[in-house]
This record gives sequence, structure tokens and C-alpha cells, in this order.
Amino acid sequence: MTGPEFRDPPAMTIVTGATGWLGRALLAQLTDPASAHHRSSIRALVTSAAGADELAGLSGVEPVVGDVCTRSGLGALFADLPGDSVVDVIHAAGVIHPVTPSDWVEVNVRGTANVAAAARSVGVRRLVHVSSNSPFGINPHRSDLFRNDEPYAPYLGYGRSKMLAELRLLDEIGRGLDAVIVRPPWFYGPHQPARQTRFFTMVRKGRFPIVGDGTQRRSMVYVDDLVDGVLRAELVACPPGRGWWIADARPYEINEIVTAVTGALAASGLDVARRQLHVPAILGRAAAVADNALQRHHRYVTQLHVLGELGATIACDISAAQRDLGVEPSVGLAEGMRRSVEWCLAEGLLS
Amino acid sequence: MTTVPPLATIDELPVATDVLVVGSGAGGGPTAALLAEAGVDVVIVEEGELVRQGEVVPFSLAQMERQYRAGGVTAAVGSPALAYAEGCCAGGGTEINSGLYRRPPEDVLWRWRHDHGLDDLDVDELYQICDEVETELSVQLLPSAPTAPSERLRLGAERLGWEHGEIPRWMAYSGADASTARRRSMTETYLPRATSAGALFAVGQRVDRLVMDRRPDGAAATAAVVTDRAGVTRRIRFRNVVVCGGAIQTPALLQRSGLGRRFGATLSAHPTVKLAARFAGDINVPDDVPVHQVSEFAPDLSFGGSASSPGLVALALSDHWSLFGEAIEAWRQIAVYYAAITSEGRGRVVAVPGWRDPLVTYRLTRRDRALLGRGLARLALVLLEAGATAVYPSFRGAPVVRSRRDLAVLQGTFAASRASLMTVHLCSTAPMGADRRRSATDSKGRVYGATNVSVNDASLLPDAPGVNPQASVMALAIRNTRRFLDDRDGR
Repeated sequence: MTGPEFRDPPAMTIVTGATGWLGRALLAQLTDPASAHHRSSIRALVTSAAGADELAGLSGVEPVVGDVCTRSGLGALFADLPGDSVVDVIHAAGVIHPVTPSDWVEVNVRGTANVAAAARSVGVRRLVHVSSNSPFGINPHRSDLFRNDEPYAPYLGYGRSKMLAELRLLDEIGRGLDAVIVRPPWFYGPHQPARQTRFFTMVRKGRFPIVGDGTQRRSMVYVDDLVDGVLRAELVACPPGRGWWIADARPYEINEIVTAVTGALAASGLDVARRQLHVPAILGRAAAVADNALQRHHRYVTQLHVLGELGATIACDISAAQRDLGVEPSVGLAEGMRRSVEWCLAEGLLS
Repeated sequence: MTTVPPLATIDELPVATDVLVVGSGAGGGPTAALLAEAGVDVVIVEEGELVRQGEVVPFSLAQMERQYRAGGVTAAVGSPALAYAEGCCAGGGTEINSGLYRRPPEDVLWRWRHDHGLDDLDVDELYQICDEVETELSVQLLPSAPTAPSERLRLGAERLGWEHGEIPRWMAYSGADASTARRRSMTETYLPRATSAGALFAVGQRVDRLVMDRRPDGAAATAAVVTDRAGVTRRIRFRNVVVCGGAIQTPALLQRSGLGRRFGATLSAHPTVKLAARFAGDINVPDDVPVHQVSEFAPDLSFGGSASSPGLVALALSDHWSLFGEAIEAWRQIAVYYAAITSEGRGRVVAVPGWRDPLVTYRLTRRDRALLGRGLARLALVLLEAGATAVYPSFRGAPVVRSRRDLAVLQGTFAASRASLMTVHLCSTAPMGADRRRSATDSKGRVYGATNVSVNDASLLPDAPGVNPQASVMALAIRNTRRFLDDRDGR
């Protein structure tokens, strides 16, 4: 038995979605001289001058303003690459909670197709596409685990868009692109967006809706462990077209997740409610039905979507990533939540 | 050369016997053999006819007509309806099924023991009995290469890295090749053992009801009312009766005998959905079934191959005739596969006065429906990996699946209510257990509230075991018969 084989890091790393949540965590690792993943030449796609300013302080990062939604919007990102040297792309741009459902198609599907086509045309070594659990839907029951290879069963509009993105990527692979896919389920940690902080606040106030008995399970991953998985997928020597779940080794019950959050909040000296809101399972299902109906009419309500999904089990088996990439997520739920709360406090997001 | 063991039948029932065994399948066969060999006076009454192995083509329509109840057309009422198949012949289900043999999984036995107060259910003892059964039935792997449909299933699972394996069968091979197989069913094994030890075997005789005598210490059965093919009704008296009619007929008979509606209230099964997979070359083997199963998702979900004679291929394609109809011409390139679930749902068997067959109902839970849909898609993925050029799922409105992209359409359009669901592995309609309120019999199969009535078939299993249950049925039947003999000797 030999472990996975890794190639040298590229001369240049292109990151899309650089000001997004995962993008920021990725850049934090890549630009940290103390990190094993430190790199000196990174080109980062941002959507605005403000985004470029946000990244200005990061050494080795060259922000490029552009847009994944059009080929021309990617012109500068892929222009004037150092000749002959190795370039990799980490495609982390995507929309989870859109303004309207059509953003999913524009950004997730067309954006991925554009980035993949551009990457192929300039001859990058490898593209890592950050996908999701949602092309595979929800598990049929609570003890089920998604295997590494599963039939597509997209969960609503977002799931459809991420599935179509994967399929467009596979088309480009068929035309000669070397690309692989990582599929993170729920990830969390520093740089997390406001909605995750809202989750902490709801738990703190006892207003987080536990749907049903709370024994439904979720695979989760701390963002640094996800970054580690993404970079391993980039560097591993393997044929194109492979994909892996990146998550902690076992899924957690919703009750366990809430307990970890309350524990982390209390450890930071915050007052925490003793009980959470309990919502009958049927309400969760009703929310899912309503969410589906609204999405059909091109409307999207984040709260409804989240509530609809909270009753479901979304759990995956990471043995393929352990075998092929040698990932061993090291930050468990309790420690990860502690670090997340600490980050929120340091940023003044929880008071 | 395989010799056919002599199996004598009687035309006319005696007026009395010591033990009456009702039914001659996986439960009744071993029960009768062990009793007769212990010197007990035994009569076996079987509703179906005697068809020796080799007389009809396995998995054919002719076999369905002669050896299945109602020609194989039986269905549980419900939404969706659940078709089921019951053997109705000497030897029961063992004569007609795939012959695949799976020991009851250890965790299932421990669960039964723990959840149903079966303190004397000894796992080691049952496995020792399984050893005996495996020798008697010559349970073994294939002596040569598997059939193409079996090999395809194996290949698809291997490519996905999913757990799978060849399941042994009760088959004897007179040559080095699998085509020399002879099924070691009840008519080849335990039934000849029973009759050569003196048991009397009556076929084509249906037990209408047991005559019950109410006594202070519980009801006692004194005789059975039996009708033959010509419609002539007779009575046979006995000291004890062991009902082994299978999970549908056993509770119906006990209900018709006035023993109450608690029988039949907890029918358990492995509902299955099917698909037909088409390959580039000829793979169909009409007279055999695949021996490989995919166990990656066991016990919740398992995949295997189904009988695929041209008629059954047509049946599997019939859900969407306009789209799939052209495929039937290519039946030689097509094999049928199933995804089976362990169901949370339960069914009910109710004897209806004036009707020959009981009413069977079954209800799937939300989880069951979700699992059937996901199972069908996962099975389709296995077959795409195995090189299928087209997969035809068996539900109304199903898409033809030719790529992974189509799998999303499959799951998006699947509804259990539109699927052709069927089930084998019916069980648990007279479950054994310590609690009289929840269970129908004690751990030895003795019916609560009756002094001399036992059940010894698939009805006893507390729930569907997630694997082919006939090994469990035979092992329990042998165990219970030994307990019966011990108790009798002790008296």
C-alpha cells in the first residue's frame, strides 16, 4: 500500500471567488508564511474595486477585477500568464443564497463553464472545482451515508445549478481539461458569512429551530480542513474527473451541533439559552414544499430554504478522500466551533 | 447422474394422526422430517401439487401457472399496490425461488433476541443448525463462471468500489459446469426424508380451518377441515398441529379458525423496485437468476438480479410502453435487476369470509419511499458503470437512463406510487416473542392462547431480516421442532 503522490505547487495559483468565504480562508492559508501551503504568486478574481482593496494587504496576491459570468470578464484573469510555468486554478466562486434563482444559473453554471473553458484554452495544469452536497440531494434516511459516487438527485435550484456546473466541467474534461471536484457539505469557521453568525446568535437566544427530534445528521467540516482538502486535490497525481467529499470523518446529529455551539458560546463567557425552539418535522417539510414552490416562481427566501433543509440528513462517507488524498480532518466539531466563536468575537460580530 | 429421491404421496387422508403439519415449504419440510425421524406419527397436508425438479423450466410462465399461488398474480392493496409471489406447490417457495442462501445476520438475531424478549434464542445454536442445513441442501458457490447478467452486476459494483459478493445456493452439480445444477429444494431433501421415515404426504388438499375446542386452560385444536381438488371435504383429527403455510396463509388459517385478528397484523417484507438494463451484446439468460448481490448499503438496501425470461423482460418494460416498447425486441440484450429495501412499513393479512384468499394490505413509510427512489438510482448507477447502454426503470413516467445526467431525472420523477413494486420475503405475521400483547407465539412458535397449535414458518420472524429469509426459516423450524420433541419426551 502506498499513499497518495503529490506534485509540486504551481508557479502561480489562480483563485476565483477570492473575496467569498472559502476564498478568504484559502487566501489566508496560501499567504501565511507559517503555513505548509504558503505560496508566493496568487492571482485572485474579485468582482469590484472594493474587493481588490480588501485583498490589497495580502502579500503575493494580485487582485484582478472581473466576472465569471462572461468569457470577456475572465480576460484579465487569464492574461499574461508566466510562459512555460505551471498554473493551477481553484474555482471557488459560487452563489449559495442568491438574490433571485437566476443567479444560480449565471454564476454557478455559466461561471463554471467559462472558467473551465478559459483554463483549458491557456493550458493550466489542473482546475479544482468546488462543488457541494446539493447535486446529490438529501439522504433517504438518517443512517444512510452518501458514497463517494452517487447518482445525481439535485436539491432544488441551487442543487440543480451545482449539478449542471459539474456536468459542464465534465464536458470540458472531455475536451482535454485536467479538472477534479471537491464536494464540501456544511463548512464553517473564520471568515464565515453573516448568516452563520446569525446561526450562533439564534442558538444563543434559544431561537434556533430544531426540526423534529434533532437526530437527523449533517456532515460538516471546519474551513481550514476544507482548504487542506482542496489543495490536496489540486496537487494529487490522479486522472482528471475525480471527485471527493471533504468533511469530518463522521456526520453529527443536529442536537450535537447545537450542543457544540452552546458549549463554545458559554466557554467564551456569553450567556446562552438552555433550550432551543423545537419545530415539528412536518413544518420542516412544509417549508421545503413552500421553498420549492417559490423557486418555481423565481423567488428565493433564505429562511424558508434553511428551515426546509434543517429536517434532512445530509451525510457523506469520506473514505475515498482519505484513501486518495490522505485527508484526515483534524479540527473536530467542538474545537472548530470554539475557534469560530473566537473569530466572531474578535471581529465584534457577537456581543 | 443425479438420482431423484423417492417422494411418496397419499391420495386419501387418514382420519387421525399424532401431528398434522400444514404446508410443505421451508418451514413444513424440516418440521415433518425431524418429527417423522423421531418416530412421531406425521401427516403433511399441502394445498399445491407435486412437481418434481426438472419437470418445468425454472422461472418460466409454465412454472408460474403450476407452482405459484393464483398463477403468480397476487397483490397487496395499498398505495402503491405491492405485488407479491407465493409458492403453492409441494416444497413451497424453495421450489421456485432463486435458491440463494443467506444465514440470518448475527446482528439481526441479537436484535430479535433483545427487542422481543427471546432470551432462549441462542445464536450459536442457530448457526450450528445452519451448518446442518448447508450440508443437507449442499449450499455452495458456482462451480464455473457466473451468467453474464450476474457478472455485469459484479463488475458495476466493483468499479464503484461498493461491497458485493456471490451468494451461495442450494444446488447440487453433477458436472463441472453450472448448467448441471439440480436444485436441492424441499422435494429433494427434507420431504423425501420425512416420507421415508413414515410421514404421510397429501398434496392438493387445502386446510379450510382448524376445529377449536374451548377449554379452561386455553383453546385446543382437535381436527382440521380439509378440502381436496374435487371439492370433497374431510376431517383429520390430531393431537398437535404445526401451521407452516407461509406468512400469508398461516395467519389467514388461524383467523379462519377463530384464533383472532392479532395474526397477520404485522406483515413485514422487502419491497423491491425493478429496472431493465440493456447492454451492447446478448446477455439474457432466461432460465437462471444472477447469484451476485450488492451489499454496500445493507441492511437498508440491497441489489440483485431478477428472473429475466422474455415475458418478465416485457413486464419490466411495460410501465412506459410508448418509450420502452421497442426495447422488447432486443430482449436478448436485456436483463432485469432489483433494488430491495428493509421496510419500516407494515402490512396486514385479513381472511375474508367467502373468499379463498385473504386480503393483504401494505403501507410504505416516507422513509421507505425515499429509499426505494434512491435505491433505484443507485442500482441504475451500478448498471451504467457495468456498461449498460440504456436503463429502463420500472415506474410510470420513468425516463430512459443513458448517462449520469439522466439519473437526476430518474430521481426527480420517481414516485413510489407510480412504481411497479413487488415483494418476496414475506414474513412476521405470527411473530414470536415474550410479550403476549405484541407477539403471536412464544419463542418456540407455540400460539398464545392455544394449547396444541404451533407456527413454524416465515410468519415467526419478528421482522424481515434484510437478507433472503429461507435459511432463517429452516433454522428456526429445526430448532423449534427439536424443542417440541424435547418437551414431549419430558412429559
